[in-house]
Amino acid sequence: MIFNTPIFFLFFVVFLTLYGLVVLSRRPRILLIVVSSLVFYGAWNYRFIPLLVGSAAADYFIAQAIGATADRRARKAWVTLSIAINLGVLALFKYADFALQSVADLVSAFGVEPDLPTLAWVLPVGISFYTFQSLSYTIDVYRGTLEPRRGLMEFVAAVSFFPQLVAGPILRARQILPQMHAIPVPTWGDAKHGFVLVTAGVFKKTLADLLAAPAAKAFDSAETVSVLETWTGVVAFAGQIYGDFAGYTDMAIGIALLLGFRIPANFHLPYFAVSPVDFWRRWHISLSSWLRDYLYISLGGNRTGSRTRNVLITMLLGGLWHGAAWTFVAWGAFHGLLITASHGLSRIGALSAFHGGRSRGIALLKWAATFYLVLVGWVLFRATSLDGAGAVLARMHGLGALAEPGGQAVTVLVLTVVSLLVMQLMDLFVIKKGAWLEGKAWLLWPFLIFFQGLCLLFGEPSDDFIYFQF
Amino acid sequence: MTSSTSSSRGIYLRVLVAIALGMGASLGLVRLFTFVGGASAETILPEVTEARAALPRIVAEEKDVVLAFGSSMTDAAFGARQFDREMAAQGVEVKSFNFGFGGLNPYFQDYLARRVREAFDEADRRLSLAIVEFTPLQNTKTRYRRALPLVDSYVAMLASDAEIGELVLREPTVGIQTANVRYLRNGISAEMLTWFFGSEVLFPAEQPNSGLPRDEEAERTLEELGPELDRRFDEDYPDYVESAWSWEWQGAGTIPEERSPETLALFEQYYAALRNDRRMADDRLWRIHSADVENLDFEEELLAAFVRIVKTFQAFSDRVAIVVMPRNHAWIGRTPEGEARMRAALHRIREETGATVYDFEDTPRITPEMFADTTHLARYSGDVAYTSLLVEAFAPLFSR
Repeated sequence: MIFNTPIFFLFFVVFLTLYGLVVLSRRPRILLIVVSSLVFYGAWNYRFIPLLVGSAAADYFIAQAIGATADRRARKAWVTLSIAINLGVLALFKYADFALQSVADLVSAFGVEPDLPTLAWVLPVGISFYTFQSLSYTIDVYRGTLEPRRGLMEFVAAVSFFPQLVAGPILRARQILPQMHAIPVPTWGDAKHGFVLVTAGVFKKTLADLLAAPAAKAFDSAETVSVLETWTGVVAFAGQIYGDFAGYTDMAIGIALLLGFRIPANFHLPYFAVSPVDFWRRWHISLSSWLRDYLYISLGGNRTGSRTRNVLITMLLGGLWHGAAWTFVAWGAFHGLLITASHGLSRIGALSAFHGGRSRGIALLKWAATFYLVLVGWVLFRATSLDGAGAVLARMHGLGALAEPGGQAVTVLVLTVVSLLVMQLMDLFVIKKGAWLEGKAWLLWPFLIFFQGLCLLFGEPSDDFIYFQF
Repeated sequence: MTSSTSSSRGIYLRVLVAIALGMGASLGLVRLFTFVGGASAETILPEVTEARAALPRIVAEEKDVVLAFGSSMTDAAFGARQFDREMAAQGVEVKSFNFGFGGLNPYFQDYLARRVREAFDEADRRLSLAIVEFTPLQNTKTRYRRALPLVDSYVAMLASDAEIGELVLREPTVGIQTANVRYLRNGISAEMLTWFFGSEVLFPAEQPNSGLPRDEEAERTLEELGPELDRRFDEDYPDYVESAWSWEWQGAGTIPEERSPETLALFEQYYAALRNDRRMADDRLWRIHSADVENLDFEEELLAAFVRIVKTFQAFSDRVAIVVMPRNHAWIGRTPEGEARMRAALHRIREETGATVYDFEDTPRITPEMFADTTHLARYSGDVAYTSLLVEAFAPLFSR
């Protein structure tokens, strides 16, 4: 079920009616959340419901076991089991074929054609999100930063909570479990903010879908295209992936807020970043902070001597989290190198004026360099193979590109850049002026109706979200 | 009830009311936009709408009814009045209708066929002969992909209420989307609007170019003759103006005997100009690009839909014939793989329907000079020859 479709609208209206007007006590409401979330999830593939419930239940009981013992070895054994179950499920569904294919490719490089089997299993939607979310609970309990909580139903409701189930943000147990226990009621202010976020999200998703065509032209076209069209395609993809994912996130946060639940922001104007490190503080914040807290710090964090290694491993695995393909590994490695290089450059005294510079010129230069590097990264992310990525990168820089762009190329470029800018400005407006808008009812409702109407008029509302596949 | 429960109910009720009013107002904007823009089933599929509206009159015909059902190629090539006249000359009294419509692939035609069947069933009437065109280029994967943005709208326009209800139960996501488009959006989906307004920008380099020089003289001839032929049509058929009974599919004006020799000579000039090398080469590339016309990588969904169409006609017709229209061999070739796929598709259609396939692809009676472009036959030459071929093929069926 996709948020911006009529079936989700019906689902949500029915759910909200039951949740808000009919089922009024706490435990039945939790049960309603679980049942509705499973219906929501089962709309894709009901056969994976046991996997979702099973992995959540396993983590719940493992956390109980950890909490029940003070024996460090036993606690470690339990958390290791939780990690093995979660990552095992992920490995089996998401990475097994990739690993087998990579082995086959490696062996065939030596002239042997191995006959390895493939699983070809369907990837359960949202598996990377809910396993990480569930895993954070057992790790937090193991580390002693969170007490194990009583109530299996509450825990399953938290893991399967439909607004954020299939594409995040990845909630920490300590963020969602207390809310699931308290069953918060929204204020009218929360609801208005929720409506603003849902509208901003639908609008971004609509623009993202419209940007898919120029992006596909640069990446998927059988024929080569010009430098201009390649750049347009890469910028379009930057807009598409942002609008798609940040749009989903806004809708998720907004829908949760209409119910009274608070989900933290997952994006903060990422294309305004002025360094690779800054970019990762603004992009998919729930994943980058998860990787920081549960992987990077576990590896040793900023300890002298191992920082570079830890950054590279974290980003490499962060890339692989997105998908089982070498392009994602390369994307993660590329960003790992960028962050490492940023750290290195920041230690060069001669560049301190540049790093610490506050002038507009320097800021612009830093922004341009960061945006360029992020775009290069998106080429690795979007391409279907490393060769394909190489070809697009070459075309961006004039190699192997058509001399003359096709018709409408300039118009498409302008519209692409405007779309990307509009998305960022809309976010800036919501951040800076959202509260002001929400206080002016005469402006708020026409604003929301206009943008919702616009989204109902145009777009491809049945298109899946890109991050569902991760 | 506690006061906190009551206030909790109040806030959720307020949220629900805001959702209902907001969505209602947003949909109102959509309806306003489509109303102002004149977008509706009547404007998007005008001939189909007109044909459906005419079905009660068609089923009330006294004579045996013949339907030529197919694509724009049938629309251009089947002369209903000529067919009736030539059949009568052979002692067979029928009234035929041209149900050839551009832009509908078999997936959509399948719905239309069911609407035709409903009209005949309701009148307890049988169709005497259904001539169902199998259009290879309409059945390819390429064609299928290109039509995807139109699916919601076309299905919403062509499906019956019962079919939409079944779709809701069978595939809730698709069914509710289709119901939304039909009942709340006047048949106009967001995809269709996007495709309509944005295809120039979203798919900018889609028009392939042969690179041949433009034939200036031919283009001048077309510019001059187009309005002149329109003027003569209005003069010859003054009753057509404001008529809901489309001349094209009724066949009026398609018989050379009804036009003056001067007008026919102008048409000949007009089609000769249309067939200039640049236009034909570009048209061929466009057909390859948009329909995979030479390689014919068929889409299973479309072939299955075509089989369903034939079976639908078989359920209420005395005779069902499948026809493959003449091919313009001067311009449209076929790869060996394409040829093999074509033969396999026809074999499958024969096997699954038991209907006879009349394959006119290679008929020597139709020459490249009888085409208006690489696929459509020209009026007053190609259509005349093709309609005669049909009479020769089908008149004997009525004497059995």
